[in-house]
Amino acid sequence: MNKLLLSLFLAAGIFSTQSFALDLGKALKDAAKQEIEKVKNGGESAPTETPAAVPVESSATTSPADKPVLPAEASPEAKVMGEPAKPEFNWKNPSKAEEIALGREITGSILGAAPLVKDEALQKYVNEVGRWVASQSERADLPWKFGVIESADLNAFAAPGGYVLITKGLYQKMQNESQLAGVLGHEIAHIVKKHQLKVLQKQQLLNAGASWITDQFGKKDKIAKKLIGNGAEISARSLDKDAEFEADRMGVVLASRAGYDTFGLVEVLQTIGETNKADSSVALLYKTHPAPDERLAKLADSAGSKLDNVIAGKTLENRFYKLK
Amino acid sequence: MKKIFLIMMCAPLLALAGEAGTAIKIDTLRAEPFADAKTSGTLNKGDSVDILSKKGAWLQVKTKKNSGWVRLLSVKRGSASSSNAVGSAIDVASGRSGTGKVVSTTGIRGLSAEELKSAKFNEEEMKKMESYTTTAADGEKFANAGGLSKTSLAYFKGAK
Repeated sequence: MNKLLLSLFLAAGIFSTQSFALDLGKALKDAAKQEIEKVKNGGESAPTETPAAVPVESSATTSPADKPVLPAEASPEAKVMGEPAKPEFNWKNPSKAEEIALGREITGSILGAAPLVKDEALQKYVNEVGRWVASQSERADLPWKFGVIESADLNAFAAPGGYVLITKGLYQKMQNESQLAGVLGHEIAHIVKKHQLKVLQKQQLLNAGASWITDQFGKKDKIAKKLIGNGAEISARSLDKDAEFEADRMGVVLASRAGYDTFGLVEVLQTIGETNKADSSVALLYKTHPAPDERLAKLADSAGSKLDNVIAGKTLENRFYKLK
Repeated sequence: MKKIFLIMMCAPLLALAGEAGTAIKIDTLRAEPFADAKTSGTLNKGDSVDILSKKGAWLQVKTKKNSGWVRLLSVKRGSASSSNAVGSAIDVASGRSGTGKVVSTTGIRGLSAEELKSAKFNEEEMKKMESYTTTAADGEKFANAGGLSKTSLAYFKGAK
């Protein structure tokens, strides 16, 4: 059951499964119920209360008598008693710090599945390119972090707060820096538009998530952590198709603003489109994203004549870091 | 030395020249790479083209009947039926063909939804990732070193 809950958490980078999404509501309810049962039966500790603004669907979670109360937040007496107020994760309008904490959890879990490529020069290079592209966005203030992970898959992942990972397999498909900039631009756009965060909010992970992240801040509630699991699962889940199309549109614009050739992302999508769909290296990508051809067609329709006069940017193949 | 430099500058162009492409949507062929240039023909969805060169947002292409410039976004590389031909090359790249030519598969594996679900948070790797963080100022230095300069370009809306 924990696993099911985990699966609520997913949404990916360049590429995201509708069939999964259908189970979400039920899975979440089941998991929440189970958790409530545990608490009733005197489980290890109590989850924190859902913020009042959060809509709660499951009837099990709304029974006031059973609702454990977060001491400091919920009762004025607790504060009087001198217990410091524990910050509660504000799902309705998360702060930057909360977004970053959430993204760190998700990213660290993906790293648990696939570690960073042991090549410091590569990692630094990708951070330099990514940082410059991210600086052209509306969220230049985030502490942007990028990494290349050990996986032969073609994929990339974004997590709230400015975390971006791309696979070694995808990196090796690229031929120049503008292509890398385009792919990172797509992922940066997901974060700027808070696509993954919105999925988490929409799917009403709120209840469980609130206690989980409060745990992260408050270092207390272990049961909540168990309930949510690792957080990396959001990276295996689909975003809305429109979110992918939007990230494509923004990705080309961000790379272009940074002085790169506008069409690096387009080239990478074409390369991915040439990959045999049956190949396992694109299994997750195809599961979580619209097909490259569909994305290319959508981008062409959306751009219309708007890119006709773009300044020819740089591709920088000579500076592109070659993997050993 | 100059020659080498020139060759390098042309490399991306050369790489494109003569490459096969397919129109992914109907578009107008133009005599020059500008939207208001004279029309030199029409490209229908699925038409095969030879890509001759690239300039900004435009590709110079040749069809059976015409030649001219068309928006890069209207053309996909590769011939219409070639999407699966690359399969074998990918197998080589992922080490599956057994040649080990491109990638050693040691320590490299795919990343499935299942693996992501069962993954455990790795603090050590996370700290490592954090150690590579680049500041905005350093990012700008890096951009300057590469001769990149900012341009302004507005986001555009999605087509219905």
